[in-house]
Amino acid sequence: MYISKSLCDRFNNAVIYYISGDEMSKISIIVASERLDKLYPAATLAVTAAVMGWESEMFFTFWGLLALRKGFIPNEVSSDYRRFEDSLRKAISSEALPNWHSLIMEGKKSGRLRIYACSATMELLNIKTEDLAEYVDGVAGAPTFLTSAKDSDITLFIS
Amino acid sequence: MKADAVVDARYKSCPGPLLALVNTVMRSKPGQVIELLATDPAAPNDVKAWASHVGHRVIKVEKENDTYHIYLEVLG
Repeated sequence: MYISKSLCDRFNNAVIYYISGDEMSKISIIVASERLDKLYPAATLAVTAAVMGWESEMFFTFWGLLALRKGFIPNEVSSDYRRFEDSLRKAISSEALPNWHSLIMEGKKSGRLRIYACSATMELLNIKTEDLAEYVDGVAGAPTFLTSAKDSDITLFIS
Repeated sequence: MKADAVVDARYKSCPGPLLALVNTVMRSKPGQVIELLATDPAAPNDVKAWASHVGHRVIKVEKENDTYHIYLEVLG
């Protein structure tokens, strides 16, 4: 993934380099979809890991980045599973499943969930830092994320 | 068993019951007992797994109809 120097410079302050202790469990999840049926499994694992005392990080890239926009509410289900769309929506409206924002905020409250936006995708989709939700910890390029995810016990790619 | 606080997380799916419990634990003092009500069949084992990670103790799990009563002792 190519990240232009100007972009790196522009977001330099926003990028958070995170190094965890050796003894702590850690999960790193790459999210490449904004669909309900992709976001919920990813966030459930990331948030649960965080409240279990693990270091937890999510890297939102490509269509996953759409989910980090301010006020985003996941609404669509992947086309293969559209027949379950109503029951998923019902689960969220009845609070059997937490809504997207409060699920993420539960993880953030633990102080162990970190959320990164992919810098290359921001450029691609013309999404600015001010467009990102307040819970985003930083903008990261592939090298930053890989460096951080290298020592994870669990790494997942969800798309 | 008398609990210091009751958390009603019935009809919530994973990770709802655990998140509800964690929020109450954060406001609790060591030695207090929290009773979690959950209908999620995974909740007893999920709470035990979490508790063993973060250093609290599941004292007892009871099932009444479809509801689990999970008693957690908050440790230091």
